[in-house]
Amino acid sequence: MQLKGKIGIGLILLVFAVSLSACAGVAPQAAAPGAPAAGEAVTITWAFWGSPEEKASHERVAAAFMKEHPEIKIDIWHQPWNDYFTKIQALWASGDPKVIPDVAFLWPTPRYAAEGVLENLDPYIEASGYDLNDYWPGLLESAKYQGSVYGLPRDIEVNIIYYNKDMFDAAGVPYPSEDWTWDDFLAAAEKLTQKDANGMTTVYALAAEGGKWPKWVNQNGGAIFDDYVNPSKCLLTEPASVGGIQFFADLMNNGYAMRPADLNQAGGDAAVFMSSQAAMILQNTSRVSAFNAAGMNYDVAPAPIPAGGKRWNGAGGAAWVMSSASDNKDAAWTFIRWLQSDGGGQTIYTQAGEIFPALQSVANSPAFMTDQPPANKQAIIIEAGASDVGGFGYFPEWGELSGSIIGPGLDLIWAGEVDVETGLTNICAQVDQFLAERGYPK
Amino acid sequence: MTLRTPPCSLFRWRPDQQWEGYLFILPSFLGFLIFIVLAVLMSLGISFSTWGLTGFRGVAGLANYQQLWRDPVFWQAFGNTAFYIVTIVPMQLALGLTMAVGLNQAIRGVTLYRLIYFMPVVTTIVAGAIVFRLLLSTNGPVNQWLAALFGALDIPFTPPNWLGSSQFSKWSVVILTLWKNTGFTMVVYLAALQGVPKELYDAAHTDGANAWQRFRHVTLPLISPTTFFLFIFQMIGAFQLFTEPFVMTQGGPANSSLSVVQYIYLAAFRDIRMDKAAAMAWVLFVFIFAFTLLQNFMQKRWVYYESE
Repeated sequence: MQLKGKIGIGLILLVFAVSLSACAGVAPQAAAPGAPAAGEAVTITWAFWGSPEEKASHERVAAAFMKEHPEIKIDIWHQPWNDYFTKIQALWASGDPKVIPDVAFLWPTPRYAAEGVLENLDPYIEASGYDLNDYWPGLLESAKYQGSVYGLPRDIEVNIIYYNKDMFDAAGVPYPSEDWTWDDFLAAAEKLTQKDANGMTTVYALAAEGGKWPKWVNQNGGAIFDDYVNPSKCLLTEPASVGGIQFFADLMNNGYAMRPADLNQAGGDAAVFMSSQAAMILQNTSRVSAFNAAGMNYDVAPAPIPAGGKRWNGAGGAAWVMSSASDNKDAAWTFIRWLQSDGGGQTIYTQAGEIFPALQSVANSPAFMTDQPPANKQAIIIEAGASDVGGFGYFPEWGELSGSIIGPGLDLIWAGEVDVETGLTNICAQVDQFLAERGYPK
Repeated sequence: MTLRTPPCSLFRWRPDQQWEGYLFILPSFLGFLIFIVLAVLMSLGISFSTWGLTGFRGVAGLANYQQLWRDPVFWQAFGNTAFYIVTIVPMQLALGLTMAVGLNQAIRGVTLYRLIYFMPVVTTIVAGAIVFRLLLSTNGPVNQWLAALFGALDIPFTPPNWLGSSQFSKWSVVILTLWKNTGFTMVVYLAALQGVPKELYDAAHTDGANAWQRFRHVTLPLISPTTFFLFIFQMIGAFQLFTEPFVMTQGGPANSSLSVVQYIYLAAFRDIRMDKAAAMAWVLFVFIFAFTLLQNFMQKRWVYYESE
């Protein structure tokens, strides 16, 4: 249908073009436009995905930029998340600079950098003296390929514990402290969980997506790979890694945490948290606006860490990239640089409550430190400060590896269909085979 | 060109008019050439190359096929697809025929029933999947009904996790597919049933055949060409199953409901491995082609054509 519509539009345009060119023969030449004025604006195309609300805030950002930089005009190319990647891939595959977006929002950067469609930003960063030290630790690694920066992450995913104060009060459980441990968490979970006569949980202490597992593994000193850029070995069978997965699996097997498949069926963590089916969720800052709009009595806390473990947050976030086929690279860099500046795009997105900023200076500015809930914003700063690599691989095949092997393998553990040791042994065997076949380590 | 109409000229072979014929088929033939033939040949070429987002990067020979051979997920997807074929195809034929026989009777409001049974075919699959996800959820109506049933029979019962366990996820896809497609089978069977000459039933009746014997020895052989068509059609459909697992379970958990076509899609658009995706598509094609040939060969044993 889509195609037919496009052919239809194409035909109309064709008829238009034919009739115009037919007119040109008889029309006087006076109407011919002169050469573009020296100061005329260059146009760059800016691609992003998002809901209508997110689109509106992107449009505000574009307007603010064009006000400051009248010499650059921003054309917006917007698609919903589901269509964005297939469509932008098709544009890049066409190789036509006229249709390829100059600046795009993208994840994961290394996958596309390896395809050669992205511009290496190192020369621009160096020439303009752009400061990379303001980024949270480890964050830029997610946008690097072969040691060079190919994208500037807009935000950083900071996973924290949201807790329902009313439910904590009702269960007589003290609010989480900054330095609570896994044992403190288990003690609280036991009191917060409610079960029916058959032992089935009716109210869960925790609802967390299955994908949040790297936090537990890394906190416990475990790891996925020996090297996240050029891996040679799966380390999920190491005792520390097994311990992290075991902690998460036990929460589910004991009825304290919702199994991810059930969570999915129940509508996701925001839904079960707002309907008080779960007293806590482990999630990034994207839920704040929904909970504030619902007027919930909640706050946030850093995640609990195991005795002898360390605080850890996975450093990653979608990034602004430049197409290597862009025909206005300098203007594109001016825009990206402005997007990623205190007082520029970073501040506007942060004020809109849409992101937790990639730049530490913006996180510590009034743009983030508002008097809106959650009260304990310091918890987010603490977790963000512990950001590091370890949540995912930075090599191009990571998406395939995690989507086809690691994620599905862990599904079996979360569903309680295999025990943790067996499940992880199977995963690592397949991961090692996958890496060897793709020629890793390179 | 003026139109002369001598007798029979319409049906006579006139070599001097051939070009007009070609002109008439040209638009759709060009479309077929570019969008089907060229695409198919390209995909064959891609499957023997290294091919990423921006195109050709080198000759790969059989490397993509060898990688598939060693890819456990591909075999799992193939096993799942085999499961879909051996469950969906016979169940759909049996259910569709039963419904068609039932709705071929002179009962009041039969048109309304036919309409109701056909409705899922024209319903959006995504909407259907959302309803079935609710029906099959852990505490959903289906499990409550099953619990009540088993409770009444005093049989110990653990409600199945239809969508969240690797044992049952394929069944929830099967249920959705049956709901969606059986109406089509029913309509085709209805047409076939109405084509069975009444005299044959009368003759069988006179010979003393009971209702089951009439069905077994008159109806079934006479509708066997339809069964053959539906069998091939549905087998190919089950080989190419995509939307149902995609919207129902996303292929999970643990790839337990992933179909081959879904894996092709993931390889192409998630992993940007057009080469591997093309290789899988060709392996799938070879399987479908072989099975269809086999069926075509086997049909002599059970398909009855009246004209023969």
